[in-house]
Amino acid sequence: MTSAVTCEGLWKTYQRHRPVGVKTLLLGTSPPADTRFAREWALAEVGFQVPHGRSFGVIGANGSGKTTLLSILLGTVQGDRGRVGLNGNVASLLELGAGFHGDLSGSENVFLYGSILGMRLAAIRQRFEQIAEFSELEGAIEQPLRTYSAGMVARLGFSIIIQSGADILLIDEVLAVGDARFQAKCHGALREFRARGGTLLIVSHNMKEVTEVCDEGICLDLGRVVDAGPMAGVAARYQERMAVAEPARGASRAGR
Amino acid sequence: MPGVERSPRQLAEFLYLLTRQELKARYKGRFLGYVWALAHTFALAFVYWIAFKIIIGLDVTNYSVYLVAGMFPWVWLSMGVTSATRGFVANAPLIKEMGVAHAILPLASVMQEMAHFMLALPALIAWVVLPGGYEPAASWLWQIPLLLVLQLAFVYPIALGCAVANAYVRDLEYLLGVGFPLLFFATPMVYPISIVPEPLHHYFELNPLHALMQSWRSLFMEGALDPAQLAYVAGWALALGAVAWLLYRALAPRVGEVV
Repeated sequence: MTSAVTCEGLWKTYQRHRPVGVKTLLLGTSPPADTRFAREWALAEVGFQVPHGRSFGVIGANGSGKTTLLSILLGTVQGDRGRVGLNGNVASLLELGAGFHGDLSGSENVFLYGSILGMRLAAIRQRFEQIAEFSELEGAIEQPLRTYSAGMVARLGFSIIIQSGADILLIDEVLAVGDARFQAKCHGALREFRARGGTLLIVSHNMKEVTEVCDEGICLDLGRVVDAGPMAGVAARYQERMAVAEPARGASRAGR
Repeated sequence: MPGVERSPRQLAEFLYLLTRQELKARYKGRFLGYVWALAHTFALAFVYWIAFKIIIGLDVTNYSVYLVAGMFPWVWLSMGVTSATRGFVANAPLIKEMGVAHAILPLASVMQEMAHFMLALPALIAWVVLPGGYEPAASWLWQIPLLLVLQLAFVYPIALGCAVANAYVRDLEYLLGVGFPLLFFATPMVYPISIVPEPLHHYFELNPLHALMQSWRSLFMEGALDPAQLAYVAGWALALGAVAWLLYRALAPRVGEVV
Protein backbone atom coordinates (compact mmCIF):
# COMPACT_ATOMS: atom_id res chain seq x y z
CA MET A 1 0.00 0.00 0.00
CA THR A 2 1.36 3.44 -0.87
CA SER A 3 1.64 6.00 1.87
CA ALA A 4 -0.42 9.17 1.92
CA VAL A 5 2.57 11.28 2.89
CA THR A 6 6.17 10.28 2.17
CA CYS A 7 9.24 12.24 3.13
CA GLU A 8 12.69 10.80 2.43
CA GLY A 9 16.08 12.24 3.33
CA LEU A 10 14.83 15.82 3.21
CA TRP A 11 17.42 18.58 3.59
CA LYS A 12 16.73 22.27 3.53
CA THR A 13 18.82 25.34 4.11
CA TYR A 14 17.66 28.94 4.06
CA GLN A 15 20.08 31.86 3.59
CA ARG A 16 20.53 31.37 -0.14
CA HIS A 17 17.48 33.26 -1.29
CA ARG A 18 16.89 36.58 0.32
CA PRO A 19 15.10 39.60 -1.07
CA VAL A 20 17.62 42.26 -2.02
CA GLY A 21 17.54 45.96 -2.77
CA VAL A 22 18.31 47.63 -6.07
CA LYS A 23 21.65 48.78 -4.67
CA THR A 24 22.71 45.20 -4.03
CA LEU A 25 21.51 44.14 -7.44
CA LEU A 26 23.43 46.88 -9.24
CA LEU A 27 26.62 46.93 -7.18
CA GLY A 28 26.72 43.24 -6.50
CA THR A 29 27.63 43.80 -2.88
CA SER A 30 25.76 42.15 -0.11
CA PRO A 31 25.58 43.09 3.55
CA PRO A 32 27.18 40.53 5.87
CA ALA A 33 24.75 37.74 6.61
CA ASP A 34 23.03 37.88 9.95
CA THR A 35 24.10 34.60 11.51
CA ARG A 36 22.71 35.07 14.99
CA PHE A 37 19.83 32.67 14.44
CA ALA A 38 21.26 30.95 11.40
CA ARG A 39 22.27 27.36 11.39
CA GLU A 40 23.50 25.31 8.55
CA TRP A 41 20.36 23.29 8.07
CA ALA A 42 16.73 24.19 8.64
CA LEU A 43 15.95 20.53 8.05
CA ALA A 44 18.52 17.75 8.01
CA GLU A 45 17.78 14.29 6.72
CA VAL A 46 14.15 14.30 7.76
CA GLY A 47 12.25 11.20 6.78
CA PHE A 48 8.93 9.62 7.70
CA GLN A 49 5.89 8.01 6.17
CA VAL A 50 2.21 8.39 6.99
CA PRO A 51 -0.09 5.61 5.72
CA HIS A 52 -3.59 6.46 4.52
CA GLY A 53 -6.12 6.97 7.28
CA ARG A 54 -3.50 7.63 9.96
CA SER A 55 -2.79 10.67 12.03
CA PHE A 56 0.73 11.99 12.42
CA GLY A 57 2.05 14.57 14.85
CA VAL A 58 5.10 16.81 14.51
CA ILE A 59 6.39 18.37 17.71
CA GLY A 60 9.47 20.30 18.71
CA ALA A 61 10.65 23.59 20.16
CA ASN A 62 10.15 26.92 18.35
CA GLY A 63 12.45 27.14 15.35
CA SER A 64 13.02 23.40 15.13
CA GLY A 65 11.79 23.25 11.52
CA LYS A 66 8.15 22.21 11.91
CA THR A 67 6.66 24.95 9.77
CA THR A 68 9.41 24.58 7.16
CA LEU A 69 8.52 20.90 6.93
CA LEU A 70 4.83 21.67 6.39
CA SER A 71 5.67 24.34 3.81
CA ILE A 72 7.78 21.87 1.85
CA LEU A 73 5.01 19.27 2.00
CA LEU A 74 2.59 21.91 0.70
CA GLY A 75 5.02 22.83 -2.06
CA THR A 76 5.29 26.52 -1.16
CA VAL A 77 8.94 26.07 -0.21
CA GLN A 78 11.32 23.73 -1.98
CA GLY A 79 13.69 21.32 -0.31
CA ASP A 80 17.34 21.19 -1.30
CA ARG A 81 17.70 17.43 -1.28
CA GLY A 82 15.41 14.51 -0.68
CA ARG A 83 11.94 13.63 -1.82
CA VAL A 84 8.45 14.41 -0.59
CA GLY A 85 5.31 12.90 -1.97
CA LEU A 86 1.66 13.46 -1.19
CA ASN A 87 -0.81 10.96 -2.45
CA GLY A 88 -4.16 12.77 -2.60
CA ASN A 89 -5.72 16.21 -2.43
CA VAL A 90 -4.35 18.45 0.28
CA ALA A 91 -6.01 21.14 2.37
CA SER A 92 -4.08 23.15 4.91
CA LEU A 93 -4.87 25.33 7.88
CA LEU A 94 -1.48 26.77 8.72
CA GLU A 95 -1.90 30.40 9.62
CA LEU A 96 -4.97 31.89 11.19
CA GLY A 97 -6.79 34.12 8.73
CA ALA A 98 -4.49 33.40 5.77
CA GLY A 99 -6.61 33.60 2.65
CA PHE A 100 -9.43 35.41 4.40
CA HIS A 101 -10.49 38.90 3.45
CA GLY A 102 -11.48 41.17 6.33
CA ASP A 103 -13.98 43.29 4.42
CA LEU A 104 -15.94 40.33 3.13
CA SER A 105 -18.58 38.52 5.14
CA GLY A 106 -18.03 35.08 6.61
CA SER A 107 -20.09 33.44 3.91
CA GLU A 108 -18.26 35.26 1.11
CA ASN A 109 -15.02 34.11 2.68
CA VAL A 110 -16.27 30.53 2.65
CA PHE A 111 -16.40 30.74 -1.14
CA LEU A 112 -13.03 32.44 -1.49
CA TYR A 113 -11.26 30.10 0.93
CA GLY A 114 -12.90 27.03 -0.55
CA SER A 115 -11.66 28.10 -3.96
CA ILE A 116 -8.16 28.68 -2.59
CA LEU A 117 -8.27 25.11 -1.30
CA GLY A 118 -9.11 23.95 -4.81
CA MET A 119 -12.86 23.37 -4.43
CA ARG A 120 -15.22 23.88 -7.32
CA LEU A 121 -17.93 26.53 -6.90
CA ALA A 122 -20.68 23.92 -7.23
CA ALA A 123 -19.13 21.87 -4.41
CA ILE A 124 -18.87 24.91 -2.14
CA ARG A 125 -22.53 25.82 -2.77
CA GLN A 126 -23.56 22.27 -2.08
CA ARG A 127 -21.68 22.08 1.24
CA PHE A 128 -22.25 25.66 2.36
CA GLU A 129 -25.05 24.72 4.75
CA GLN A 130 -22.91 22.09 6.49
CA ILE A 131 -19.97 24.49 6.73
CA ALA A 132 -22.12 27.24 8.27
CA GLU A 133 -23.75 24.79 10.63
CA PHE A 134 -20.47 23.26 11.80
CA SER A 135 -18.94 26.69 12.47
CA GLU A 136 -21.89 27.59 14.77
CA LEU A 137 -21.40 31.21 13.74
CA GLU A 138 -25.14 31.57 12.99
CA GLY A 139 -26.04 35.19 12.22
CA ALA A 140 -22.41 36.33 12.41
CA ILE A 141 -21.64 34.50 9.17
CA GLU A 142 -23.11 37.45 7.26
CA GLN A 143 -20.97 39.96 9.18
CA PRO A 144 -17.61 41.22 7.83
CA LEU A 145 -14.74 39.01 8.89
CA ARG A 146 -12.85 41.88 10.51
CA THR A 147 -15.47 41.88 13.26
CA TYR A 148 -14.62 38.25 14.13
CA SER A 149 -12.53 37.14 17.09
CA ALA A 150 -9.58 34.81 16.53
CA GLY A 151 -11.68 31.92 17.75
CA MET A 152 -14.42 32.69 15.25
CA VAL A 153 -11.91 32.84 12.39
CA ALA A 154 -10.49 29.49 13.47
CA ARG A 155 -14.01 28.01 13.58
CA LEU A 156 -14.73 29.19 10.07
CA GLY A 157 -11.35 28.01 8.74
CA PHE A 158 -11.68 24.58 10.29
CA SER A 159 -15.28 24.18 9.15
CA ILE A 160 -14.19 24.81 5.56
CA ILE A 161 -11.18 22.50 5.44
CA ILE A 162 -13.06 19.63 7.07
CA GLN A 163 -15.72 19.95 4.32
CA SER A 164 -13.22 20.56 1.53
CA GLY A 165 -13.15 16.95 0.43
CA ALA A 166 -9.37 16.79 0.80
CA ASP A 167 -7.69 13.44 1.45
CA ILE A 168 -4.85 14.94 3.47
CA LEU A 169 -5.13 17.74 6.04
CA LEU A 170 -2.15 19.75 7.26
CA ILE A 171 -2.96 21.66 10.43
CA ASP A 172 -0.55 23.96 12.26
CA GLU A 173 -1.52 24.87 15.80
CA VAL A 174 -4.61 26.85 14.91
CA LEU A 175 -7.14 24.93 16.94
CA ALA A 176 -5.64 26.26 20.16
CA VAL A 177 -7.70 29.45 19.93
CA GLY A 178 -11.06 27.66 19.86
CA ASP A 179 -12.93 27.09 23.09
CA ALA A 180 -12.84 23.66 24.75
CA ARG A 181 -16.20 22.56 23.39
CA PHE A 182 -15.33 23.53 19.83
CA GLN A 183 -11.96 21.82 20.12
CA ALA A 184 -13.73 18.65 21.21
CA LYS A 185 -16.05 19.00 18.23
CA CYS A 186 -13.05 19.43 15.92
CA HIS A 187 -11.39 16.32 17.34
CA GLY A 188 -14.60 14.41 16.73
CA ALA A 189 -14.72 15.66 13.13
CA LEU A 190 -11.08 14.70 12.64
CA ARG A 191 -11.81 11.17 13.90
CA GLU A 192 -14.64 10.90 11.37
CA PHE A 193 -12.35 12.28 8.70
CA ARG A 194 -9.83 9.53 9.41
CA ALA A 195 -12.53 6.91 9.56
CA ARG A 196 -13.35 7.90 5.98
CA GLY A 197 -9.72 7.20 5.07
CA GLY A 198 -8.39 10.74 5.47
CA THR A 199 -4.83 11.38 6.56
CA LEU A 200 -3.90 13.97 9.12
CA LEU A 201 -0.63 15.78 9.80
CA ILE A 202 -0.65 18.06 12.82
CA VAL A 203 1.93 20.44 14.24
CA SER A 204 1.25 21.33 17.82
CA HIS A 205 2.72 22.42 21.13
CA ASN A 206 -0.24 20.99 22.97
CA MET A 207 1.02 17.56 24.04
CA LYS A 208 -2.35 16.49 25.37
CA GLU A 209 -3.93 17.29 22.01
CA VAL A 210 -1.36 15.51 19.83
CA THR A 211 -1.37 12.47 22.10
CA GLU A 212 -5.14 12.33 21.84
CA VAL A 213 -5.39 12.90 18.09
CA CYS A 214 -2.23 11.31 16.64
CA ASP A 215 -1.17 7.67 16.37
CA GLU A 216 2.44 8.31 15.57
CA GLY A 217 4.77 11.23 15.29
CA ILE A 218 8.23 12.70 15.23
CA CYS A 219 10.03 15.24 17.33
CA LEU A 220 12.28 17.76 15.59
CA ASP A 221 15.21 19.53 17.20
CA LEU A 222 17.33 21.98 15.18
CA GLY A 223 16.02 20.46 11.99
CA ARG A 224 16.78 16.84 12.84
CA VAL A 225 14.43 14.04 13.76
CA VAL A 226 15.47 13.24 17.31
CA ASP A 227 12.60 10.94 18.18
CA ALA A 228 9.99 8.96 16.29
CA GLY A 229 7.39 6.35 17.07
CA PRO A 230 4.02 6.10 18.80
CA MET A 231 2.87 9.62 19.63
CA ALA A 232 2.33 9.16 23.36
CA GLY A 233 5.93 8.07 23.87
CA VAL A 234 7.41 10.77 21.65
CA ALA A 235 5.39 13.45 23.45
CA ALA A 236 6.31 12.18 26.90
CA ARG A 237 10.04 12.02 26.13
CA TYR A 238 9.88 15.51 24.55
CA GLN A 239 8.32 16.94 27.69
CA GLU A 240 11.02 15.31 29.82
CA ARG A 241 13.78 16.76 27.65
CA MET A 242 12.20 20.23 27.69
CA ALA A 243 11.99 20.14 31.48
CA VAL A 244 15.48 18.79 32.17
CA ALA A 245 17.81 19.77 29.38
CA GLU A 246 16.93 23.39 28.75
CA PRO A 247 20.05 25.06 30.22
CA ALA A 248 22.45 22.57 28.62
CA ARG A 249 20.79 22.90 25.24
CA GLY A 250 21.00 26.67 25.34
CA ALA A 251 24.73 26.43 26.00
CA SER A 252 25.31 24.03 23.13
CA ARG A 253 23.48 26.30 20.73
CA ALA A 254 25.55 29.31 21.72
CA GLY A 255 28.68 27.32 20.90
CA ARG A 256 27.65 26.61 17.33
CA MET B 1 1.42 23.54 -8.42
CA PRO B 2 2.04 20.76 -5.96
CA GLY B 3 -0.37 19.84 -3.22
CA VAL B 4 -3.66 21.13 -4.52
CA GLU B 5 -5.04 19.75 -7.77
CA ARG B 6 -6.54 22.48 -9.93
CA SER B 7 -8.28 22.06 -13.24
CA PRO B 8 -8.46 24.99 -15.67
CA ARG B 9 -12.12 25.41 -14.77
CA GLN B 10 -11.34 25.53 -11.08
CA LEU B 11 -8.65 28.16 -11.78
CA ALA B 12 -11.14 30.21 -13.78
CA GLU B 13 -13.59 30.09 -10.88
CA PHE B 14 -10.83 31.05 -8.47
CA LEU B 15 -9.90 34.01 -10.68
CA TYR B 16 -13.54 35.05 -10.79
CA LEU B 17 -13.84 34.93 -6.98
CA LEU B 18 -10.57 36.84 -6.45
CA THR B 19 -11.70 39.56 -8.85
CA ARG B 20 -15.18 39.77 -7.41
CA GLN B 21 -13.79 39.88 -3.87
CA GLU B 22 -11.71 42.92 -4.68
CA LEU B 23 -14.58 44.73 -6.38
CA LYS B 24 -16.93 43.98 -3.52
CA ALA B 25 -14.41 45.02 -0.90
CA ARG B 26 -13.73 48.27 -2.70
CA TYR B 27 -17.32 49.30 -3.31
CA LYS B 28 -18.94 47.67 -0.29
CA GLY B 29 -20.97 49.85 2.03
CA ARG B 30 -20.24 52.94 0.01
CA PHE B 31 -22.95 54.13 -2.27
CA LEU B 32 -20.53 56.63 -3.70
CA GLY B 33 -17.71 54.13 -4.18
CA TYR B 34 -18.29 54.00 -7.91
CA VAL B 35 -18.51 57.77 -8.17
CA TRP B 36 -15.24 58.20 -6.27
CA ALA B 37 -13.46 55.82 -8.60
CA LEU B 38 -14.61 57.89 -11.59
CA ALA B 39 -14.07 61.24 -9.95
CA HIS B 40 -10.37 60.58 -9.45
CA THR B 41 -9.68 60.16 -13.17
CA PHE B 42 -11.99 62.98 -14.24
CA ALA B 43 -10.43 65.34 -11.70
CA LEU B 44 -6.95 64.51 -12.97
CA ALA B 45 -8.09 65.13 -16.55
CA PHE B 46 -9.60 68.44 -15.42
CA VAL B 47 -6.27 69.51 -13.91
CA TYR B 48 -4.43 68.75 -17.17
CA TRP B 49 -7.16 70.54 -19.10
CA ILE B 50 -6.68 73.67 -17.02
CA ALA B 51 -2.90 73.48 -17.23
CA PHE B 52 -2.49 72.70 -20.89
CA LYS B 53 -5.59 74.13 -22.54
CA ILE B 54 -6.25 77.24 -20.48
CA ILE B 55 -2.80 78.19 -19.24
CA ILE B 56 -0.45 76.94 -21.95
CA GLY B 57 -3.02 77.30 -24.71
CA LEU B 58 -2.44 73.93 -26.38
CA ASP B 59 -4.51 73.74 -29.55
CA VAL B 60 -6.08 70.30 -29.80
CA THR B 61 -9.59 69.73 -31.09
CA ASN B 62 -11.83 68.32 -28.39
CA TYR B 63 -8.97 68.26 -25.90
CA SER B 64 -11.19 67.11 -23.01
CA VAL B 65 -12.21 63.98 -24.95
CA TYR B 66 -8.60 63.40 -26.02
CA LEU B 67 -7.54 63.48 -22.36
CA VAL B 68 -10.32 61.35 -20.90
CA ALA B 69 -10.24 58.70 -23.64
CA GLY B 70 -6.56 58.08 -22.91
CA MET B 71 -6.56 58.41 -19.16
CA PHE B 72 -9.03 55.65 -18.29
CA PRO B 73 -7.06 52.93 -20.09
CA TRP B 74 -3.87 54.41 -18.63
CA VAL B 75 -5.23 54.12 -15.10
CA TRP B 76 -6.12 50.49 -15.77
CA LEU B 77 -2.58 49.81 -17.02
CA SER B 78 -0.66 51.62 -14.31
CA MET B 79 -2.88 50.58 -11.40
CA GLY B 80 -3.01 46.99 -12.62
CA VAL B 81 0.77 46.70 -12.83
CA THR B 82 1.30 48.54 -9.53
CA SER B 83 -1.14 46.43 -7.54
CA ALA B 84 0.12 43.21 -9.16
CA THR B 85 3.67 44.15 -8.25
CA ARG B 86 2.73 44.51 -4.61
CA GLY B 87 0.55 41.40 -4.87
CA PHE B 88 3.05 38.68 -3.98
CA VAL B 89 4.41 40.51 -0.97
CA ALA B 90 0.97 41.71 0.18
CA ASN B 91 -0.48 38.22 -0.17
CA ALA B 92 2.48 36.52 1.50
CA PRO B 93 0.26 34.36 3.75
CA LEU B 94 -1.66 33.13 0.73
CA ILE B 95 1.54 32.16 -1.05
CA LYS B 96 3.41 30.77 1.94
CA GLU B 97 0.69 28.90 3.66
CA MET B 98 -1.82 27.95 1.06
CA GLY B 99 0.17 27.09 -2.05
CA VAL B 100 -1.85 29.36 -4.31
CA ALA B 101 -0.89 29.39 -8.00
CA HIS B 102 1.37 32.39 -8.25
CA ALA B 103 0.59 33.40 -11.81
CA ILE B 104 -3.09 33.74 -10.93
CA LEU B 105 -2.52 36.56 -8.45
CA PRO B 106 -1.13 39.18 -10.89
CA LEU B 107 -3.78 38.14 -13.40
CA ALA B 108 -6.44 38.82 -10.76
CA SER B 109 -4.91 42.26 -10.06
CA VAL B 110 -4.95 43.17 -13.74
CA MET B 111 -8.49 41.85 -14.18
CA GLN B 112 -9.71 43.79 -11.14
CA GLU B 113 -8.46 47.01 -12.74
CA MET B 114 -9.93 45.87 -16.04
CA ALA B 115 -13.28 45.44 -14.31
CA HIS B 116 -13.01 48.98 -12.92
CA PHE B 117 -12.27 50.21 -16.41
CA MET B 118 -15.29 48.38 -17.82
CA LEU B 119 -17.48 49.82 -15.07
CA ALA B 120 -16.17 53.26 -16.00
CA LEU B 121 -16.84 52.74 -19.72
CA PRO B 122 -20.44 54.05 -19.61
CA ALA B 123 -19.20 57.28 -18.02
CA LEU B 124 -16.34 57.50 -20.50
CA ILE B 125 -18.72 56.94 -23.44
CA ALA B 126 -21.16 59.49 -22.00
CA TRP B 127 -18.31 61.99 -21.87
CA VAL B 128 -17.31 61.24 -25.46
CA VAL B 129 -20.88 61.48 -26.74
CA LEU B 130 -22.42 64.33 -24.73
CA PRO B 131 -19.87 67.13 -24.24
CA GLY B 132 -17.63 65.67 -26.92
CA GLY B 133 -20.34 65.53 -29.54
CA TYR B 134 -19.11 62.28 -31.10
CA GLU B 135 -21.63 59.85 -32.52
CA PRO B 136 -21.56 56.44 -30.85
CA ALA B 137 -20.53 54.01 -33.57
CA ALA B 138 -21.93 50.49 -34.02
CA SER B 139 -18.38 49.32 -34.71
CA TRP B 140 -17.58 49.99 -31.03
CA LEU B 141 -19.38 46.75 -30.29
CA TRP B 142 -16.47 44.74 -31.64
CA GLN B 143 -13.71 47.36 -31.40
CA ILE B 144 -14.01 47.87 -27.65
CA PRO B 145 -13.85 44.13 -26.79
CA LEU B 146 -10.92 43.75 -29.18
CA LEU B 147 -8.95 46.53 -27.49
CA LEU B 148 -9.90 45.20 -24.04
CA VAL B 149 -8.42 41.81 -24.89
CA LEU B 150 -5.36 43.38 -26.51
CA GLN B 151 -4.65 45.59 -23.51
CA LEU B 152 -5.14 42.64 -21.13
CA ALA B 153 -2.64 40.60 -23.18
CA PHE B 154 -0.21 43.53 -23.08
CA VAL B 155 -0.55 44.39 -19.39
CA TYR B 156 -0.60 40.89 -17.88
CA PRO B 157 3.00 39.93 -18.84
CA ILE B 158 4.28 43.22 -17.42
CA ALA B 159 2.32 42.63 -14.22
CA LEU B 160 3.52 39.02 -13.92
CA GLY B 161 7.15 39.94 -14.51
CA CYS B 162 7.06 42.86 -12.06
CA ALA B 163 5.26 40.79 -9.41
CA VAL B 164 7.76 37.96 -9.44
CA ALA B 165 10.74 40.31 -9.65
CA ASN B 166 9.43 42.43 -6.77
CA ALA B 167 9.48 39.40 -4.47
CA TYR B 168 13.27 39.38 -4.88
CA VAL B 169 14.02 43.07 -5.42
CA ARG B 170 11.67 44.93 -3.12
CA ASP B 171 12.50 48.40 -4.40
CA LEU B 172 10.78 47.63 -7.67
CA GLU B 173 7.39 48.79 -6.43
CA TYR B 174 8.87 52.16 -5.51
CA LEU B 175 10.65 52.37 -8.86
CA LEU B 176 7.29 51.86 -10.54
CA GLY B 177 5.88 54.73 -8.49
CA VAL B 178 8.53 56.91 -10.12
CA GLY B 179 8.46 55.19 -13.50
CA PHE B 180 4.77 55.47 -14.33
CA PRO B 181 4.54 59.28 -14.05
CA LEU B 182 7.68 59.50 -16.21
CA LEU B 183 6.16 57.15 -18.77
CA PHE B 184 2.93 59.11 -18.64
CA PHE B 185 4.64 62.26 -19.83
CA ALA B 186 6.96 60.40 -22.21
CA THR B 187 3.84 59.03 -23.92
CA PRO B 188 1.64 61.46 -25.81
CA MET B 189 -1.17 61.53 -23.25
CA VAL B 190 -1.72 65.18 -22.42
CA TYR B 191 -0.24 66.45 -25.69
CA PRO B 192 -0.70 65.16 -29.24
CA ILE B 193 2.25 63.51 -30.96
CA SER B 194 2.03 66.18 -33.67
CA ILE B 195 3.65 68.78 -31.40
CA VAL B 196 6.64 66.54 -30.68
CA PRO B 197 9.67 67.90 -32.60
CA GLU B 198 10.06 66.06 -35.91
CA PRO B 199 13.45 64.39 -35.24
CA LEU B 200 12.03 62.77 -32.08
CA HIS B 201 8.81 61.58 -33.69
CA HIS B 202 10.22 58.21 -34.58
CA TYR B 203 11.28 57.46 -31.01
CA PHE B 204 7.90 58.41 -29.60
CA GLU B 205 6.22 56.11 -32.07
CA LEU B 206 8.36 53.17 -30.96
CA ASN B 207 6.64 53.36 -27.58
CA PRO B 208 4.00 50.60 -27.51
CA LEU B 209 2.07 52.54 -24.88
CA HIS B 210 1.56 55.28 -27.46
CA ALA B 211 0.17 52.80 -29.99
CA LEU B 212 -2.18 51.36 -27.36
CA MET B 213 -3.42 54.70 -26.03
CA GLN B 214 -3.71 56.16 -29.52
CA SER B 215 -5.87 53.18 -30.45
CA TRP B 216 -8.30 53.95 -27.63
CA ARG B 217 -8.47 57.60 -28.63
CA SER B 218 -8.98 56.93 -32.32
CA LEU B 219 -11.63 54.37 -31.41
CA PHE B 220 -13.64 56.94 -29.50
CA MET B 221 -12.85 59.98 -31.62
CA GLU B 222 -12.82 58.47 -35.11
CA GLY B 223 -14.57 55.11 -34.70
CA ALA B 224 -11.56 53.52 -36.38
CA LEU B 225 -8.60 51.39 -35.37
CA ASP B 226 -5.25 51.36 -37.11
CA PRO B 227 -4.35 47.69 -37.81
CA ALA B 228 -0.64 48.54 -37.88
CA GLN B 229 -0.82 49.95 -34.35
CA LEU B 230 -2.80 46.97 -33.11
CA ALA B 231 -0.28 44.58 -34.63
CA TYR B 232 2.57 46.55 -33.04
CA VAL B 233 0.96 46.27 -29.58
CA ALA B 234 0.23 42.57 -30.15
CA GLY B 235 3.86 42.00 -31.10
CA TRP B 236 4.98 43.65 -27.88
CA ALA B 237 2.47 41.60 -25.93
CA LEU B 238 3.93 38.38 -27.36
CA ALA B 239 7.52 39.45 -26.68
CA LEU B 240 6.71 40.59 -23.14
CA GLY B 241 4.78 37.37 -22.61
CA ALA B 242 7.83 35.31 -23.53
CA VAL B 243 10.10 37.32 -21.24
CA ALA B 244 7.62 37.23 -18.35
CA TRP B 245 7.13 33.49 -18.74
CA LEU B 246 10.90 32.82 -18.61
CA LEU B 247 11.25 35.11 -15.60
CA TYR B 248 8.34 33.41 -13.90
CA ARG B 249 9.68 29.94 -14.64
CA ALA B 250 13.07 30.86 -13.20
CA LEU B 251 12.00 32.81 -10.13
CA ALA B 252 8.58 31.57 -9.06
CA PRO B 253 9.59 28.32 -7.31
CA ARG B 254 11.43 30.25 -4.59
CA VAL B 255 8.91 33.05 -4.14
CA GLY B 256 7.42 31.29 -1.12
CA GLU B 257 10.75 31.69 0.70
CA VAL B 258 11.46 35.33 -0.02
CA VAL B 259 8.08 37.00 0.56
